[in-house]
Amino acid sequence: MDKELEHSFVEQLQKHQNIVHKVCRLYSNNQDAHNDLFQEITIQLWRAYPKFRGDSKFSTWMYRVGLNTAITLYRKSKRSIKTSDFDAYQFKIKAEEYDSTEEEQLKLLYQAVHQLNDIEKALVLLYLEDKDYREISETLGITEVNARVKMNRVKKKLKAILNP
Amino acid sequence: MDELELLKKDWQSNRTEYPELSYDEIYKMSHAKSSSIVKWIFYISLIEFAIGLILILLNPKIEGQIEFPRWVEIMSYATFPVIGVFIYFFYKNYKNITATDNIRKLIKSILKTRRTVKYYVLFNLVMAGVFSCVGLYVGYVTSEGGAEQFSANAHFAEYATLGVVIVLVTAAIIAFFYGIYYLLYGILLKRLNKNYKELKKLEV
Repeated sequence: MDKELEHSFVEQLQKHQNIVHKVCRLYSNNQDAHNDLFQEITIQLWRAYPKFRGDSKFSTWMYRVGLNTAITLYRKSKRSIKTSDFDAYQFKIKAEEYDSTEEEQLKLLYQAVHQLNDIEKALVLLYLEDKDYREISETLGITEVNARVKMNRVKKKLKAILNP
Repeated sequence: MDELELLKKDWQSNRTEYPELSYDEIYKMSHAKSSSIVKWIFYISLIEFAIGLILILLNPKIEGQIEFPRWVEIMSYATFPVIGVFIYFFYKNYKNITATDNIRKLIKSILKTRRTVKYYVLFNLVMAGVFSCVGLYVGYVTSEGGAEQFSANAHFAEYATLGVVIVLVTAAIIAFFYGIYYLLYGILLKRLNKNYKELKKLEV
């Protein structure tokens, strides 16, 4: 039974591993920190997996555990604290879909998101994933109204970072 | 906000190439050792409980050298059930921590677990303070030839000196342990406290 559980867990995680990478991308400043956080999220997902009942989608459940790990459970190692590595921390792009201005804008946007605090990053991540305010409020443990208010503030903050 | 829409479009596209981990790599990772904050709190708490118990078990040896008043002895035995209660609450709170809760509830559970340990440490500090005060007083009086001789010979200056020494030594002991404790949890929970405050601020 345990073997079966392990097998189905690893298979599902392998299929949806991009979700974990996306969480790590927002909460890490360099590749080493990314790998560390990925490992910790994987451990926490596996620990919580026996209680996963399938009443929510596996991907939704992964976001919750991933964010919980990144924000509360994960203890940042020394190598994740260096911020100077951020510029070198980039992923390969499969296709050039945007013009150079948009590419530059995207780079600045990712940098701006990195300047937000942990909770604001969680809001942005859920927003980028097109989650509705009900799901955002449930994940954070705040009311829907407060989630909306906070999201508007985050948008303003990002604007201020991008246009100082 | 147009920029955020551009970011969303890029985020949802599959054009970013993330490293792809194999089945075996994920399997190995899921069985690796966790370095979560909860594990750290758990280990540190176990050490704190152990230190508390060792201090109490060492007590009879100290008693052999210094004769403590009866009420201090009774108090030292009364600490056992109190420690039992602390361990029970600590374990109960620890078990309530689940990675599938919402962020706010999870932080709250972790802070609650830590608070139990905090009260336990405070309890130990108070006990250490009481034993230090009584021990110093009894030790000094014994070295002066016993209570009767001491009270017959002592003047205000002796009482004052003894009082000042007791207060200073006890304060130094408590400050030392409190300092270590404050630093340890201060560093460990800095980020957690910050995030909890941020979420609480949203409710105002």
